[in-house]
Amino acid sequence: MEKETVTLTIDGKTATVPKGTNVVDAAKSVGIEIPIFCYHEKMLRLGCCRMCLVEVEKMPKLMTACTIDATEGMVVKNDTPKVVKGRQGVLEFTLLNHPLDCPVCDKGGECPLQDNTFNYGAGDTRMEFKRFNNVKKKELSPVITLDRERCIACQRCTTYSEVIEGDQALVMHNRGFHNDIGTFNDQPYDTRFSGNVVDICPVGALTNSIFRFQARTWDLDNAKTLCAHCGCNCNIEFGARENELMRVVSRQNDAVDDGWICDKGRFGYEFVSSKNRILEPGIRKDGEMNVASLDEACDETVSKLKTIIEEHGPKSVGFIGSPFASNEELYLYQKLMRLGVGTNNIDHKSYDDTPGLPVAHYDFTDIESSDLTVLIASDPTEELPILDLRIKKAVTRLNRNLIVLNDQKTLMDKYASLSLRYNVGSDGVALAGLAGAIADSLKQGEAPKVEKLEKTTGIKPNSFKDFAEKMIAAKKVCVIYNPAALTGNSVAIVKNLLSVLNQKPEGECGAIPAAPATNALGAMDMGILPDFYPGGVSLSDDSKIKEVWGESAPTEKGFTTCEMFEKAASGDLKALVVFRSNPIVDFPGGDKIEEALKKVEFLVAHDMLHTETTALAHVVIPSVGPGFDEGTTTNIGGRVQYRRKGLKAESFPDWRVLAKLLSGFEIEAKYLDSFTVTAELAKKVSGYEEIRRGSIQKEGKTRPAQASVNGKTPEVTSPDSIDGFKLRVSEKLFAKDKILESESALAHHFSEPKAILNSVDAKKLGIKSGDRVKVSSGNRGLSVEAEVEDSCNPGAVVVSNAGDEYRVLALIQDHNATVQVSKE
Amino acid sequence: MFAFTKESEEKIETILAKYPEERKMSALLPFLTLTQRQEGWVSPEAMVEIGKRLDVSPAYVQSVCSFYTMYFQYPAGKYIIRFCHNISCYLNGSDSLLDYLSKKLNVEVGGTTDDKKFSLIKEECLAECSAAPVMRVNDDYHVNLTKESIDKIIDSLK
Amino acid sequence: MTQILLKNFEVEGLTTLKVYEKLGGYKSLKKAFSMKPEEVLNEVKNSGLRGRGGAGFPTGLKWSFLAKDSFPRYFACNADESEPGTCKDRILLEKNPHLLIEGLIVSSYACLIETGYIYFRGEFQDVADLMDEAIAEAYKKGYLGKNILGSGFNFDLYTHLGAGAYICGEESALLNSLTGMRGEPRSKPPFPAVQGLYDKPTVINNVETVCVVPWIVNEGSEAYKKLGTEKSTGTKLVSVSGHVNKPANVEIEMGTPVSKIIEMCGGMRNGNKLKAFIPGGSSVPMLGIEHIDVAYDYESLKEAGSMLGSGALIVMDETTNIVEATMRLAYFYMHESCGKCTPCREGTRWLYQMLGEVLNRRGSPETIKTLQDACDNMAMKTFCPLADAAVAPVVSSIDLFPEDYKSFFAEAAATAG
Ligand SMILES: Cc1cc2nc3c(=O)[nH]c(=O)nc-3n(C[C@H](O)[C@H](O)[C@H](O)COP(=O)(O)O)c2cc1C
Ligand code: SF4
Ligand code: FES
Repeated sequence: MEKETVTLTIDGKTATVPKGTNVVDAAKSVGIEIPIFCYHEKMLRLGCCRMCLVEVEKMPKLMTACTIDATEGMVVKNDTPKVVKGRQGVLEFTLLNHPLDCPVCDKGGECPLQDNTFNYGAGDTRMEFKRFNNVKKKELSPVITLDRERCIACQRCTTYSEVIEGDQALVMHNRGFHNDIGTFNDQPYDTRFSGNVVDICPVGALTNSIFRFQARTWDLDNAKTLCAHCGCNCNIEFGARENELMRVVSRQNDAVDDGWICDKGRFGYEFVSSKNRILEPGIRKDGEMNVASLDEACDETVSKLKTIIEEHGPKSVGFIGSPFASNEELYLYQKLMRLGVGTNNIDHKSYDDTPGLPVAHYDFTDIESSDLTVLIASDPTEELPILDLRIKKAVTRLNRNLIVLNDQKTLMDKYASLSLRYNVGSDGVALAGLAGAIADSLKQGEAPKVEKLEKTTGIKPNSFKDFAEKMIAAKKVCVIYNPAALTGNSVAIVKNLLSVLNQKPEGECGAIPAAPATNALGAMDMGILPDFYPGGVSLSDDSKIKEVWGESAPTEKGFTTCEMFEKAASGDLKALVVFRSNPIVDFPGGDKIEEALKKVEFLVAHDMLHTETTALAHVVIPSVGPGFDEGTTTNIGGRVQYRRKGLKAESFPDWRVLAKLLSGFEIEAKYLDSFTVTAELAKKVSGYEEIRRGSIQKEGKTRPAQASVNGKTPEVTSPDSIDGFKLRVSEKLFAKDKILESESALAHHFSEPKAILNSVDAKKLGIKSGDRVKVSSGNRGLSVEAEVEDSCNPGAVVVSNAGDEYRVLALIQDHNATVQVSKE
Repeated sequence: MFAFTKESEEKIETILAKYPEERKMSALLPFLTLTQRQEGWVSPEAMVEIGKRLDVSPAYVQSVCSFYTMYFQYPAGKYIIRFCHNISCYLNGSDSLLDYLSKKLNVEVGGTTDDKKFSLIKEECLAECSAAPVMRVNDDYHVNLTKESIDKIIDSLK
Repeated sequence: MTQILLKNFEVEGLTTLKVYEKLGGYKSLKKAFSMKPEEVLNEVKNSGLRGRGGAGFPTGLKWSFLAKDSFPRYFACNADESEPGTCKDRILLEKNPHLLIEGLIVSSYACLIETGYIYFRGEFQDVADLMDEAIAEAYKKGYLGKNILGSGFNFDLYTHLGAGAYICGEESALLNSLTGMRGEPRSKPPFPAVQGLYDKPTVINNVETVCVVPWIVNEGSEAYKKLGTEKSTGTKLVSVSGHVNKPANVEIEMGTPVSKIIEMCGGMRNGNKLKAFIPGGSSVPMLGIEHIDVAYDYESLKEAGSMLGSGALIVMDETTNIVEATMRLAYFYMHESCGKCTPCREGTRWLYQMLGEVLNRRGSPETIKTLQDACDNMAMKTFCPLADAAVAPVVSSIDLFPEDYKSFFAEAAATAG
């Protein structure tokens, strides 16, 4: 659809812009800068600073260029004496009570007020009075400080809080000259996205408390890189001085982050200097860990692995990869395991998932153009924060619709036009029922017996119909699902639902697999799977595998992580290489995993920080990780971008480690830098053909959707009825884990885990909010505070994964995740 | 702890009935006024409660509350005296009368008497300019003020 | 003289429906319902009635701007009356609430509006309570509610109170306030007639404007046009305050000389000489004695360099300290600026500070220049006209009475010397 355009002239230059563009942006499109303070292209047009005054032919008054739309034939003048005087006047007013403390201000060097004063100001001020003395330093939160004196009341931050975050947390108090930004009753402004106000404040009023007075902006070495905390892969700038990280700011990429980052991305970077970092390789001898050189560690690894392969065959070796590492690292690891070791015992996750989609792989921007977004089992607010903002934008500002399908309450429910809550564990039945309802509405399948499904799923019969009708009525549907929060074979059922939806005679649909981890999609693409080669090539595609990887490439299905731990426990898996993963804490049933890992004859841990897993390893190799590493990652929208290093590492990059290991297995590995690996994987991984240094600059590049293996309709199994509660573990953005440790700037967000019980169950057990309860299974018990809220349907309990120390996932000891809840 | 009284709850129903269901935020000012009438001021707890009822954040309630000068965010006197000092009243000698009243009550303009009986506030035009000088004591207007009439009004207030 | 607004004001019990009806009240409903809505609208258009809230925009024309085919629509009656010097709406509300209700019903009928709100300034609790009683009576009698007098026309009317903010008299700020927001003005366009209350087409009219409508419907637009001047038709309520013997709200025919109005109010206090007057509320420029005979209508006042504004005539005699009076007004605008626009938020305070400097004998010709320039930098550069209003008294008083300002410098020089 072509957008209508209008043509106007600005200072004699002709600009043609889409209808609805304001004059500021229209001018920008032809290289004319109109000075602004309050206008921000991602927010409402406020028109309050009055800096952008321009003359418009046929209008008697000067107009604010930010609030008026460009219209056909409009004649705008940006440089007449009237305009110049108007702006000088505005600047004079702006500076009347501004402290002009640029020499000590954090914003110095990147301050629109400074720039505008320089470019448009009159010179000196005629203000002869004592400036209004305002509070110099007011802590809005542990990470944001307000310098009230510098505030020019542009309302950007309060508008941001209301419109973008949707929290109405930061507001304007009082009126007129006493306007003052603040929070309710001076409570901290500690939302998940609070840090963005530092970026959008056009003066140095809202400052990053950690960066405040630490360095001058022009002294920073800035690296254009990516955030490594979640699958959104927001674009950030890493500002360092003398190899020390000083701050993180957002680096707008509309295709990904829309210019925003979450507070974890901004303030959660202390791990780069954590005392818990692994700095040197180590080899365990007689139970003692001894420092070793990289060569020694690699030699030890290669020789031990070779011995084990010789004695027990390649199937006795396994690899657990990381959905947080880069494509290059993962690519090399799978190459090492498949071609070097000769095994497909490769995996990175604890849930069922397969590469490929039966529909288009949608990107973030598709959420805005879809008239309906369906969110399945996903809690973007805690898992993928920028996804949260993008959905809110679609709903609140672009009038799109949202359907939420989940077993627990999330903050997204508020924005949904339909919110369906299925019983914990019944996702497969519910999704199959919904797929059936769509098929029925399309008159393609048999009408599902939705009445029967109500008991299992907790979803009302007419909701199935409602859902189907909404799905069919929408012109463009974007289905977002979190494979990590689905159970059993539900991902296959989602894909089946997508296939059914794709039969719609009109409209289009696509999906975003929204696993929370930074590079979960990349890990799948790179074939960190026991049954797929990179690029979604199934093991059955023998000829393709041989063609790309050679005759010796193994095609026997490997073990999943779960199977690897079982085999380790039974003694069949002798060696395990664990790369940037800590299954003891991060996988369900951690205790059993810990026992299993203890039994492994040879355990290699290649990681960034010391963990429960590295503590058991026989060889430990440091991985430099985000901040120091370089490589590509693939975000949930299938967009491949480049993560640059912002700091020089004290040790070696992972590709060098891999090159050594590969050489040890007599595989050629002449890599010069991470891009040489990228070049190789581009040749080998289908979908990545166009990924190269040049093509992923700026917005990055989406890799095309991979076809999914069209299997048979997945079988649907009803959840077992159990004696006890089903446990649903909910993710927390600010969990106290290895990354956000206790010294983190975000520690104020940490909380103890809570057990959220449905009111029906709470009543039966006589539990009130605030009571201490014990959630237990087997020999694991967790004493937590209870909260009674209908977050999930009866029969289940939601426990938040608030930190590593609680080992919440260890409570999952059977496939039903059965736990007992009792009052303490 | 804050709670609306039973009478207030009844009024709340009448108030909410004035606005479309999905626009109940319109009731914000009426709710604040109601609270102020019930409590004499608008406490943070009350803001939380109002926010809950109208689906807005407490910060939002406070932001709106602080914009309007008739709301007190601290306990004010039993009698709120709003004394006009603007143009028509000024031309008719309001300054000296305000001064007189301030001395009489022994409280500074803007303050509340120690016994919490009176808050004396300088007010912008009260829209009784043809009968200046004017003051408003709680809901009642008093016009054509003189020292004598002020004495009488104040002395009649228990 | 024809009385349209203040008619029957001495009658006891006028606020009750019974008395109001007895005096011919609610008669215009029947007449209006016998006409098509657009006929009523045209009648108002033809009458030449202009908004009495301040801007003087032709009322019928404003109604005809309502976005077509967009419903529901709302009526927001502006009873915020906060402009210093103005007290005409209060008297209408206090003495004759049913007149406003009648006007609102007929006006809403003409505009196809089924819901109306009267936005009172917060201080008007007493008259709002009165209005609630009157509204209840009107409901009981079937003048409000469903199918009014069998016409098929439904109309609900509610009162809503502000809480102390002059800016809420500005129509878009009023709508925000009525929505439960801070009373900051909105960007225009879109105009309220297209996107007003709850983003729906909305008519906003001043109390006085609406109160004229029943008369126009009853007597016809031609009869209305016979009153006043060609372009300023009808009568006008003028709030006279300040240095006159009998300050009062008087209803005059448009075009009556100011001197005559002053006379109607008992002449100048103590027989003093007039120094200056503000013809249309604090937001318009003041005029000097040379304009004492100016005709009180939109055009003549404009020609004289001021405006009719809200119809508040503030009279100042020779004893007035003009700089101090101006500073009082400057204080008002500083206090009432919503703070959204930089020039208004900062400028109103600066003006106040500079006037204080002059009064404190610390000023100089430089101060006056800066004052004037600051005014120029504020005027027409803000979101809403409040900043323009704030500069009006300052600019005009400096123009008219430069000597008064200088007298403070002279003393300044003397004391310094
Ligand atoms: C700062 C400001 C204050 C205003 N205050 C009032 C007011 O108190 N009452 C009023 O009727 N109009 C007021 N107005 C004018 C209104 O914006 C609007 O023009 C008027 O209510 C329209 O009604 P009318 O067409 O009947 O005059 C004010 C305008 C401004 C800019
Ligand atoms: S001109 Fe003044 S009152 Fe009007 S919007 Fe701007 S700041 Fe507010
Ligand atoms: S940028 Fe246009 S008014 Fe602020």
